[in-house]
Amino acid sequence: MSLEGWTPEIGEYLTLAEVVEFAFDYRGNTTVIRTDGTELLGYLFNRNASAPRPYIQMFDEGGEGPITIPYAEIATIKFTGKDTAAGNSWKAWVERREKEKAEKAVALGSERSGRNPDPHRG
Amino acid sequence: MSVPVSQMFTVASYVIRQKLAGRKRYPLVLMLEPLFRCNLACAGCGKIQYPAQILKKHLTLEQCLRAVDECGAPIVSIPGGEPLMYPEIGELVTALVARKKYVYLCTNAILLKEKMDLFSPSKFLSFSVHMDGLREEHDEAVCRDGVYDEAVDGIRAVLARGFRVTTNTTLFDGASPLRMREFFDEMMQLGVEGMMLSPGYSYSKAPDKEHFLRRSKTHQLFSDMLAHPKKHWKFNQSPLFLRFLMGKKDYECTPWGNPTYNMFGWQRPCYLLQDGYATSFKELIETTPWEQYGRKSGNEKCRDCMVHCGYEATAVDDTFGSLKAFGETVAATLTGKL
Repeated sequence: MSLEGWTPEIGEYLTLAEVVEFAFDYRGNTTVIRTDGTELLGYLFNRNASAPRPYIQMFDEGGEGPITIPYAEIATIKFTGKDTAAGNSWKAWVERREKEKAEKAVALGSERSGRNPDPHRG
Repeated sequence: MSVPVSQMFTVASYVIRQKLAGRKRYPLVLMLEPLFRCNLACAGCGKIQYPAQILKKHLTLEQCLRAVDECGAPIVSIPGGEPLMYPEIGELVTALVARKKYVYLCTNAILLKEKMDLFSPSKFLSFSVHMDGLREEHDEAVCRDGVYDEAVDGIRAVLARGFRVTTNTTLFDGASPLRMREFFDEMMQLGVEGMMLSPGYSYSKAPDKEHFLRRSKTHQLFSDMLAHPKKHWKFNQSPLFLRFLMGKKDYECTPWGNPTYNMFGWQRPCYLLQDGYATSFKELIETTPWEQYGRKSGNEKCRDCMVHCGYEATAVDDTFGSLKAFGETVAATLTGKL
């Protein structure tokens, strides 16, 4: 399951620290909404929840960084970017490969029947 | 075994120096990832799944060399991404060779013929070509047809120029021991110096978790594959590590043995797991909660891992930690028996 498109609501059942962990695991850009209302779009690559002042680190959309933001300044994190890990499974590759092989076989079959390799059969 | 004598001597004297200095945690191989960009998109690889702005970035040459100096490991492995796509790869390798580091440039070899003029043959440089088996298995593993043939062409070209070439092979569930034995024959016939083997690991980010090997299956596969090894097979790795993969030895992981540096910093705790980043090598060593990793820790992520980046350092440390293990290594090196 991908978190792409998720806008978590921080509250009693979901803490900011938990959302940060999800964002740290997420292989796409996220949008950090600061407590002052400003936003930062980028890739969250690091976090330290056990530091005296817990923080996250990001590279912004243009690749600039690292930008450090303390947890205390974050209202929430939206999972706005494409999840680059989703839909690229081995299974999908094997299925694509099998489909291509089947299509090739069908195409080859029609080509052969079009050529009519046995003229005596009409 | 095929590790050159000068390299063995360098590693041996380095390990003995660390032991005499009483260093409990020392690095053996720096995994230097200058970029994540790659010209392949293998289903088993979690290294390339990043947003575009991250894939476009790379370390500067200065950042790479600072990491090498900071770490001090005698061997530098350059994986990625595809390191031949790194704009300063020629300068980087030249600078590492000048520092007398043994460099393993890990490549899929697609660009090898095109880029080989950037390098000069040296005992310090080995192209470590990614080969996951014979043509059918390799092309399937890298999710593109024709890559095996391109890699073989690349290997032939650099061998003809006098470069050292090794192969690195990751084995997944369903690998056939018989086909792998044929693969070993083919690689040795091609003229590579030696082969490196490792079981695959289930990256938390890799989309192909079900395809990786579990521990008992790993023992079975490696026992079947390496039973009665042929004399002409050469492996560019510790024979004790291979015995560990065969289930003949029991080791604990040494996650700091192959520290990883990339654009995010020093990766905690190892090459495979990403539990965060430290800003310096010293910080990595001193502040990572190492007791939370490895099999003994009970960490689920480490349970089935038997990958070289965690266990080969253990095998090398063991070699120089007891006369018995040293004797075993010497005997296996001389006889080729595992």
